[in-house]
Amino acid sequence: MQHRRGALLVALALALTGVFATTLAVPQPAQALTTEKATARPNEDGGDGVIGGLDTRLTWEGTVEPGEEVTSVTLTLPEGSTFDGSTTRITALEGLKRMDVTGEAAPAGESITVSFDQPVPEGSLLRLEITNMQFPSEGGECVVSGTYVSGGETHDLTASKPIETIANTPLQSIVNWLDEQPWVEAWNSNQFLGMFLKPQLLVTSFSSLAPGWILCLGIVVAAYPFAIALGLLFAMLKISKWRILRAVAVIYINVLRGTPLFLQIYIMFFGLPMLNINIDNNILGIIVMAINSSAYLAEIFRAGIQSIPQGQYEAASSLGMNYVQTMFTIILPQTVRRVIPTVTSDFITAFKDTSLLSSVGVMELMMFSKNLTTVSGNITPYVAAGIFYLIVTLPLIKVVSIVEENIARSERGGGPRPKRRADVADNAAAQIAAQSKEVAADVC
Amino acid sequence: MTSMNRRNFVATLGIAGTALLAGCNGSEEATQTTDDAQTTDDSAEEASYTLVKEGVLTNVAELGFSPFEYIDEDGNTVGFDVDLSNAIAEKMGLTCEWLPNQAFDTLVPTIKQGGKADISIAGVTITDERLEDVDFSDPYLNSNQALIVAASSDYATEDLDAEDIQIACQTGTTGDAWIQENLPNATRVPLADVTAGMMGVSTGSYQAMVIDLPVAQNMLAQSFSDLTILEEIPTGEQYGIAVSYDNPGLKDAINAALAEIESDGTMDELKQKWFGTTDI
Repeated sequence: MQHRRGALLVALALALTGVFATTLAVPQPAQALTTEKATARPNEDGGDGVIGGLDTRLTWEGTVEPGEEVTSVTLTLPEGSTFDGSTTRITALEGLKRMDVTGEAAPAGESITVSFDQPVPEGSLLRLEITNMQFPSEGGECVVSGTYVSGGETHDLTASKPIETIANTPLQSIVNWLDEQPWVEAWNSNQFLGMFLKPQLLVTSFSSLAPGWILCLGIVVAAYPFAIALGLLFAMLKISKWRILRAVAVIYINVLRGTPLFLQIYIMFFGLPMLNINIDNNILGIIVMAINSSAYLAEIFRAGIQSIPQGQYEAASSLGMNYVQTMFTIILPQTVRRVIPTVTSDFITAFKDTSLLSSVGVMELMMFSKNLTTVSGNITPYVAAGIFYLIVTLPLIKVVSIVEENIARSERGGGPRPKRRADVADNAAAQIAAQSKEVAADVC
Repeated sequence: MTSMNRRNFVATLGIAGTALLAGCNGSEEATQTTDDAQTTDDSAEEASYTLVKEGVLTNVAELGFSPFEYIDEDGNTVGFDVDLSNAIAEKMGLTCEWLPNQAFDTLVPTIKQGGKADISIAGVTITDERLEDVDFSDPYLNSNQALIVAASSDYATEDLDAEDIQIACQTGTTGDAWIQENLPNATRVPLADVTAGMMGVSTGSYQAMVIDLPVAQNMLAQSFSDLTILEEIPTGEQYGIAVSYDNPGLKDAINAALAEIESDGTMDELKQKWFGTTDI
């Protein structure tokens, strides 16, 4: 029984493979030219998308099967694409060796026919690179299909895997519009303007640098509260009565103020991982910026605290206040007002110094502009980065000067006199006058 | 030299080659010019091209592309392209000089702009895109691309098309364009220097690199034994000599010199010298 069942199975399997083989063989005629791949060159400025309706390059590859020769190939794209005005480069290879195959390309709307002067021999890889063709402007998945001629007969090509294309982005339309303007061309023909302030690149830079700018701001805004707290702590230590605490503060402040931030960044970013301490790059950036700023802030706060006259401490203690009460209710509130301009200046410096983090791979503003510059070979992205920095620093500089002016005026005793106080004085005088009249009347 | 038969020519090639190289570095320029004095006379009359420096064919290239052009231990600029341009200059009755190293992606703009260099012979593939900016001589060499990975890795080409993969290339090369088109999901890292890319793959900063196959083969054999060629990419691209469109006479003269070099066997000698085969 076992044997018979085995034989049955074998027979069944044989029959099945037979059926399978015939079904496979019958509907599919032997392909003489097999499509290997079809790709398109990304044509998005500062991106990697393939945009429809804009010039790009289509690369199509196919292999010629053994025993066949191909004399002409026609490639067809979905409606809306165009090969008009394109140039075609024909490459035929046997393994890695280039063969002499020349031909003529005849673009006709959404299809292109390339006829070869010599038939492309068997076993070769055929590549057609069609430059300055366009995909449909609405974008979408584009399948390259077509026909080929082999031995005088026309056959259908297997369709390629679809090429992802996208519709034009608003940003890209602005760039294209700029491309067409005569004034932009004139502007760019000036070597300096074209290299430093190319309008097209300014537009793309602004959009692609924005995340870096946000990160810069994020790092410095997150770091600053910690820097202020640490700075205040070390300022207190530095004016403390105990020598050991003063020594700690002096070392901390002097070492951090006396070495370049660049060095501190390197030590933190390359040193900590060697100690097996792995912190996220952005967090580490915040930590480095906070520590560095805290040293400068400590000095600013110390100077601010010590600028308050000694008499105020004495007055406070005569009112029965202890040291902590004096500090927090009398001295520090006055210090804050005095140090605001210097602290803002330090904030500006810290914001600009985040650019140093690009050297250790934090994806901040400079990193983005460096990448864009390497890709475009133009300085404009750096100028765009400069503008991004100025967006933050210019208003802050203005704030510093306003605050400084106000402080200077109030220290001079200038500025508008509070009205209420005058009214009070007048009323008081009037009351006194009235009272004295009454008194006088009484006396009389 | 014209009366010499081929074998004699080969014998003297080594000596002539070193002399020419020295000429390139500017030290023996004076003697070189007197040597070529007679030939200069005939060609000067029909010369319909302009040169940046009279009597000198000025080259610009990225000099880190061995075996095509690189700087050897003694500080000399050597390589296949260097020998070829010396041979071309000789046929034209000129000497040749090389400008200091320049990033690859600035070569085509330099030639287009003019005024600094006459030609760029630097393993530059003729593409339709570059032809919009500069003219090219007839192709002088066929090339392909190579995908390089660390020998210890077990990537397949498809694995490299992922977002966490960093692939190095030289900025503005055909390898750069190949990554964009064929591995669109990977992070492309364009670098100025080929060695920096290979070093990065070797230390694990990047997972792969795409560069011209002859360069990959040469550099892996010379100094990067820990890297391997994962895939030889058949592109069949052709190197040409970039010339400005404003200088059509120079292109014709170079093409004539190239044809002569091809027919008198110099080309095969150079290929043999630098690639160990004439079948390239």
